[in-house]
Amino acid sequence: MPTVDTAAPATGSPARPSEPGSVLRPPRWRRTTPWLLLVLAVVAGFGLQTQLYTGQERTASTILMFVSLAVAWNLIGGYAGYACFGQVGFFGLGGYTTAVLMTHARLSFWLALPASAVLVGVFAALIGAPLLRLRGHYFAVAMLGVAEGLREVVTNVPGLTGGGAGITVPTVDAGAPTRWLGNDGFYVLFLLLAGVLVGVGLLVSTSRAGYALRAINQDEDAAAAMGINTTVAKTMALAVSAALTGAVGAAYAFQQVTIYPERLFDVDITVLMVVMVMLGGAGTVIGPVIGAVAVAFASEWLRQHYPLVHTFLLGGLIIAAVILLPQGFTTYVHDAVRTRRFSPLANLRRYRL
Amino acid sequence: MARDHLMSQFLQATLYGLLQGGVFALVAVGFSLVWGVMNVVNLAHGAFVVAGAYLAFELHSWTGIDPFLSVPVVAVALFALGYLVQRYLVNLVINAPVFITLLLTFGLELVIVNGMIMLFTANYRSIPTGYATTSLALPGDVRLPLGRLIAALLAVGLTLALGYLMRHTRIGLAILATGMDRGAARLMGIKAAHVYALTFGLAVALAGIAGAAVGTIGTFSPADAGRFTLFSFVAAVLGGLGTMSGALYGGLLLGLAEAWGGQLLPGTLVNAVAFAVLVVVLAVRPQGLAGRSFYAARVEV
Repeated sequence: MPTVDTAAPATGSPARPSEPGSVLRPPRWRRTTPWLLLVLAVVAGFGLQTQLYTGQERTASTILMFVSLAVAWNLIGGYAGYACFGQVGFFGLGGYTTAVLMTHARLSFWLALPASAVLVGVFAALIGAPLLRLRGHYFAVAMLGVAEGLREVVTNVPGLTGGGAGITVPTVDAGAPTRWLGNDGFYVLFLLLAGVLVGVGLLVSTSRAGYALRAINQDEDAAAAMGINTTVAKTMALAVSAALTGAVGAAYAFQQVTIYPERLFDVDITVLMVVMVMLGGAGTVIGPVIGAVAVAFASEWLRQHYPLVHTFLLGGLIIAAVILLPQGFTTYVHDAVRTRRFSPLANLRRYRL
Repeated sequence: MARDHLMSQFLQATLYGLLQGGVFALVAVGFSLVWGVMNVVNLAHGAFVVAGAYLAFELHSWTGIDPFLSVPVVAVALFALGYLVQRYLVNLVINAPVFITLLLTFGLELVIVNGMIMLFTANYRSIPTGYATTSLALPGDVRLPLGRLIAALLAVGLTLALGYLMRHTRIGLAILATGMDRGAARLMGIKAAHVYALTFGLAVALAGIAGAAVGTIGTFSPADAGRFTLFSFVAAVLGGLGTMSGALYGGLLLGLAEAWGGQLLPGTLVNAVAFAVLVVVLAVRPQGLAGRSFYAARVEV
């Protein structure tokens, strides 16, 4: 039931129900509840920290990092529907930018992180302009190529990046631009990053840009016909998604201290992001968060209990999840509640030959 | 004198590139077939290549059989594997959006690659043959390695044979028809589930044979699976999807680009050549060099 919003536009013209845009506005409690929940979740995160011992705290930091990555990927992959399989390239580029700035330019981490995000965002906009003309599998693999190419470039400029031997960020000696934050510090950093990113996801989800991206996802030609500048919308989505991913990569590089191209450009990181978003529910705010927590937790649990066959089991888990829950958990629950059909076997019937 | 040396180096690189490109073509042709007919990008394709290499390796170490003679065994075994995977796994999500099939095949890749690491360790291996190091001397100080020549001839021959199979046999025409319009094909009495499984089986068998060839001319390990998938992708996109001749041109071009890149570029930058070629071709001519694929005209039912 649409209601007239009287409080929000204090200065501009008051929104009337007849105005386009205001008709679609949900009631105020539906707009504020997600924000309250987000604040509550972050506060709960701080509370949780007091209960964890060091090993658990590191695992929790990793899970929070993947929450951020999944939320960032969701912007281009979930809302716009562009299968960006090169997201780890942005992650690695952000991490290496920070490492190089801190090592060679002795720049503080708190300046290097935003600088990395901006640089990665600009880079993504530059390559996005030609590559976002591609659709479907073509875009997916072009981006995969970009990420692998970035790794090779980073490996082959050892003067700057240390090459395959890796680069170590100065964190403890007298000349260190920023001291290492410690396990507690990095937990807080990743918690706040995750909070900010989910906040960005919330903003996008209810904004004009969010609707434009959803329209592009459903039918790009129709979206263009409705007056959406699809090129600008897609490029912006990729740039923002990449910049946020780059910021997370920057934090990761600082946490790891010594980074290698093999790890920072590991294609498995991209795939984990995709798996998390798809299983949680693409194009929703909470879906990537649920997917990231579930998959990262399962992955860490398997790694600790079955270290030798952990990736093997993860692969089996992905196969089973993709077949049984192809539309993602959030979307499945949403549809099941609406249609009163709770059998997951309906999924099997929907997509099989 | 230095000029002659450079010239022969260039010729040698070109020859190597063409021989390697022939093998790339065989690696890519099955990938291109599956993509063209079913619109599935099979990220596990490279894993099947490596699986073929391991099977040939094991056959060689048990019985001493020459890897090129074990090709029929490898082909039959991998055909069966591919048939089962498609029939009972991929067919379950064949109508789902792009992401889903990508993720499914990625999960498959993880399972196969890590299964192979558990079975065979991650060490690099190669299949030793008596003639691998023998080479024929050609004029202009160029050497033609015998093992690579056999591998390339086998690969190009099989790629051409697949093209013939698709155009001139009942099963090939059924596959093409299903790829063009599945609904109409089913109305004509073609069992789509069976044809899809046959297509995938054929693709996996060819990947396995390519693996046996790769194992004789170089080293392999489970970690190479991703590289082979990428080579298939580049070759398929370069040539244009779904056409057997496209994979052949694409493979040869990629082989040449890699060989020349290896001569001209410093360090390991040659690894980036395939990606660079891929990104440039996609940005400039997404439909490939050999024109449009028949997939574009397909109607979904």
